[in-house]
Amino acid sequence: MKFKFLAPMLIVPVLAAIFFGSQLSKAQSAPHRIEIVAKRFDFTPGDITLKKGEPVVIALTSKDVDHGVKFKELNLVVKAKKGETSEVAYTPTQTGTFVGQCSVFCGSGHGSMKMTLHVTE
Amino acid sequence: MRLAPHIVLIGVAFLACGCKVGTPSALERRVVIATKHHITVGNRSEKNPLPFTSENLAAGKEAFGHYCIACHGLDGQNTGVPFADRMSPPLPSLASAEVQDYTDGQLKWVIDNGISPSGMPASKGTLSDEEIWSIVHFIRHLPPAGSVGEPEMYSH
Repeated sequence: MKFKFLAPMLIVPVLAAIFFGSQLSKAQSAPHRIEIVAKRFDFTPGDITLKKGEPVVIALTSKDVDHGVKFKELNLVVKAKKGETSEVAYTPTQTGTFVGQCSVFCGSGHGSMKMTLHVTE
Repeated sequence: MRLAPHIVLIGVAFLACGCKVGTPSALERRVVIATKHHITVGNRSEKNPLPFTSENLAAGKEAFGHYCIACHGLDGQNTGVPFADRMSPPLPSLASAEVQDYTDGQLKWVIDNGISPSGMPASKGTLSDEEIWSIVHFIRHLPPAGSVGEPEMYSH
């Protein structure tokens, strides 16, 4: 009799802990999304900061023509076709300041279309 | 003070001849090439910071294909470019000694700054430094003339 009364009182908190725990761990493990918009001839934002070892998803949206951003030292390239968004999962492994250059020829200002990525500890 | 009509006519004739595209004489070409190689085109001593690799060569070919082929053709040797010999000075083949005798640094300088008087535009800011250096690799390793077809824009 006593067990019948106590069982729901034990089961409910246990189930709740499992449910909310899994939600919490999902929220913690979901990588941060970095949104970058490219249009002739700049990136917005032009400056982003990531933490070493922290996974992110970099989403590049191109507003006018095909664009890309390439961080040569990091071996990181994201390309987006006109009007589309492309995503790349990335985890920084080294700290520093890195310059990204548009990697798809896009016109007269292509060579100076750059952005900066900072990776901190 | 009025200008005599014959002086005006001479002036007009001079301007008309000055505007018309013609083939430069051999002497004129020699003088201009020597001037460019030894006096006006700078950056003689700068080395290409990109190592020569198949990846950088492919990047040079790609960058060249986006921007340079309209005048120099896919092979850098003017194949299929209808106006190549109708400019003053005529477009040189990039495989010619006139171009290949430049140092890597000078080729970078020419792409950065263009050449005046000629149709060669200044491309600094239009192409990144890395793209220009990769194009220098491509210019040093051009495919055989005519082996890669002609720019699509001239075949329609």
